[in-house]
Amino acid sequence: MTFLQDPEFGDRIITLMAALVLVLQIAAVGQRWIVSSIRIFAVQSFLLAAIAGIIAYFNHATHIYIAALLILGLKAVLLPWLLERLVKRIEIRREIEPLINAPLSILIAGCLTLVGYVVAQSFYHPEETSVRAALGHNTLAVAIALFLIGFFTTLNRRKALTQVLGLLSLENGLFLAAISLTYGMPLVVELGIFFDVLVAVMVLGILVFRIREAFDSMDVSKLRKLRE
Amino acid sequence: MILLWLLIVPLAASPLAFFLRRRSVIEVVNLAAFAVLLCLAAALGVRVVRSGPVSIWDGFFYADALSALVVLLTSFVALVCSVYAVGYFRHDERNGIFREKEELRAPLAVPKLREYYSLTPLLVFSMVLVALANNLGILWVAIEGTTLASVFLVMFYGRETSLEAAWKYAIIGGVGLSMALFGTILTYYSAHQALGTETLAGLNWSVLVGNAAQFDKPTIRLAFILILLGYGTKAGIAPMHTWKPDVYSEAPVPAAAMLAAGVLNCALYGLVRFYILTSKCLGPGFASHLLILFGLLSMGVAVPFILVQKNFRRMLAYSSIDHTGIMVLALGFGGPLGVLGMLLHMTFHSITKPLLFFCAGNVQQHLKTDLFREAKGGLIHSMPLSGAAFLMATLAVTGAPPFSLFLSEFTILRAGFSRGYLILAILFIAFLVAIFSGFLIHIANLVLGPDPGLPPAETCRWKKSSVVGLAVVIIVMGFWIPAPLFRLIQGAAGIVMGGR
Repeated sequence: MTFLQDPEFGDRIITLMAALVLVLQIAAVGQRWIVSSIRIFAVQSFLLAAIAGIIAYFNHATHIYIAALLILGLKAVLLPWLLERLVKRIEIRREIEPLINAPLSILIAGCLTLVGYVVAQSFYHPEETSVRAALGHNTLAVAIALFLIGFFTTLNRRKALTQVLGLLSLENGLFLAAISLTYGMPLVVELGIFFDVLVAVMVLGILVFRIREAFDSMDVSKLRKLRE
Repeated sequence: MILLWLLIVPLAASPLAFFLRRRSVIEVVNLAAFAVLLCLAAALGVRVVRSGPVSIWDGFFYADALSALVVLLTSFVALVCSVYAVGYFRHDERNGIFREKEELRAPLAVPKLREYYSLTPLLVFSMVLVALANNLGILWVAIEGTTLASVFLVMFYGRETSLEAAWKYAIIGGVGLSMALFGTILTYYSAHQALGTETLAGLNWSVLVGNAAQFDKPTIRLAFILILLGYGTKAGIAPMHTWKPDVYSEAPVPAAAMLAAGVLNCALYGLVRFYILTSKCLGPGFASHLLILFGLLSMGVAVPFILVQKNFRRMLAYSSIDHTGIMVLALGFGGPLGVLGMLLHMTFHSITKPLLFFCAGNVQQHLKTDLFREAKGGLIHSMPLSGAAFLMATLAVTGAPPFSLFLSEFTILRAGFSRGYLILAILFIAFLVAIFSGFLIHIANLVLGPDPGLPPAETCRWKKSSVVGLAVVIIVMGFWIPAPLFRLIQGAAGIVMGGR
C-alpha cells in the first residue's frame, strides 16, 4: 500500500476529481431540469469534500478534515435535501428558458474555463516548493473557472431557485480556491462561512416561497415593477 | 471586556424582543439596548483615544480609532432609528397596515413588530462585529451577516415590490460579496506565502499590516480589485448600485435609514482596511486611481437620476450613491487631507442622512404616496415641523454651509487640488452643484407653495422628538465638533495613513 503514501498519486487523484467537478459545472450550465441541477450540485460538493479529504490526509491537517466533513454534511446532503423539498413544495420542475440558449451557454462556459487557466497561470510558481506542499495547486484554474461559470449561471437564469444554485456553485469555486491555495481558511473563518451559506440558503428559500405565493411564478424576469 | 459587551448587548436584545409579548415592553427593551450600546461605544472611543488600540482573545477582537469611530456611528444611527421606529410603526398600526393582510385586530400587530425589533438588533450586532473583528475572514462573515439580517427587513411589508427589492438585494449582494471573499482568500494566500503562518493570526489585520510590504504584488493587486468590486457592491458604488433605490424605497423607513447610514459605513470600513494593506504593499498609486474612477462614476451616475427623479424615497437612495462616491473619491485623493475629509464626511453623513429619511417617512405616511406628482406641494402648512426639517436636512445633506457636510466636502476639495487632480476636482464641484440644485428644487416644490388644504398631520411625540433631536445635533455639529470626537477622527485618519 505504499502508493497511498505517495503525494504524486494523491496529486493525480485530485486533478482527476477537479476535472470531474469542472465537467459537472459545465453540465449544470446546460441543464434544464431543476432536480437534476440540484443533484449535480450535490455530486459536485461530494467531490469537493473528497478533494479536501485527500489534501487533509497527505498534510495530516485536522482542520481540513473538519472542513471536508462540513462540506459533505452541509453542501452534499443537507442543502440538496432542503432544496429538493422546496421544489416539491412549489411544484416546479424545469427551467423554462435561460436567457441565453444551452449550446451558446456551454460555449461561454468553455471560454470562461480558458480565462480561469490564464488567470491561474500568474499564481503558478512550480520552482519554489516541493510536490507535497504544492499538492492541489493546479486545481486553482478549476476553482477560478467554477467561480466564473457560477457567476455566469446566476446571471443567465430566470428562475429564482436556479439563481440560488448558481450562487452556491460559485461558493463551491471559492472553497476549492481556498483549499488549493492555502489549504483552507482558518477553521473559525471556515465555520463562519458555512454558517453564512446555510442561513443564506434558508433566507433565499423563504424568499423563493414568498415570491412563488405572490406572483404565482418563480420567474424573476417578472419582477420588474421597480423601474425608473 | 468592553468589546465583548458591545457584541453581547445587541445580540441579547434580539431574542429578548422575540419572546416578549407586550408591544411597549419590546419597544423599551430595544431602546434601552441601543442606548446602552451608544454609551459603551462612547466609552470605547474615549479609551481608544486615551490609551491606544484595545484587543482581547489574542487579538481576535481588536479596536483601534477607526473601528471605534465606526462603532460609535453605528450605535448612534441605531438609537435614533429605533426612537423614530416607535412612532413610525404606531402610525402604521393606526392606519391598519398590519391588519389588512392578517385579518387580525390591533394588538396583534405585535408579531410583525416583533420581527422588526428582533431583526434590527441582529443587524446592529453584525455591524458592530464588522468593526471589531480583527480577522479579515470574520469581517467578511459579518458583512454577509448584515445582508442576511436585513433581507427580511426589506420585505417587511410583503408587497410584490418589496419581494422584488429583497430578491435583488439578496442576489446582487450575494454575488458581490462572493467576489470580496475571493479577494480575502487571495490576501490570505499572499500573507501565507510571506509569513508562513497557518494559524488564525494569519488573517488578522493587525498582523498583516506590519508585513504588507513583503506580500506578492500581483496577488494583492487582483485581491484589491475583487475587494473593491465586492464591498463596493455592498456600499452601492456605481455600477453595482442598482439594488439601492429599490431597497431604500421598499424597506420600512427606520430600517432604510439604518442601511443608508449604518451598513454603508461598515462596507466602506471593510474597503478601507484593505486599502491600507494595498497601499502599504503597492504604494498608494494603484488603489487611488481605481477609487477615484469609481467614486466619480458613482457621483456622475447619481446626477441625472436626481435631476429627473419622480419618487422622493428613490431620490434619497441616489443621494446615498452620491455620498458613497464622495467618500470613495476622498479616499482616492488620499493624503492626510483626503483621508481626514473622508472620515469627517462619513461621520457627518451618518448624522445627517437619518433625518432626511425620517422626514421623507413622515411625508410619505401623511400623504400615503412617495411620488412628487401626487404630492401637491405646500406641505409646510399641514406638517410644519417635518416640512421645515425636510428642507433643512436637504440643505445639510447637499453640503450647503453652515452645515457640517460643507466642511467635509470642502476638505475633500482642498485635498483634490493639493494632490494635483485639478480637472477631477472641478468635475467634483460640477457634480455637487448639479445634485444640490436638483435636490433643492424637488424638495422645495414639495415643501413650499400654497396650502393645498390637507388636514394637519398627526403629531406623535416619538416622531417629533427624533426629528427635533437629530436636527439639533446637526445644527450644533455645523458649528462645533466635540473635541474627543475630533481626536477620534484624527486618530482614525492616522491609522488609514500610517497603518498603526
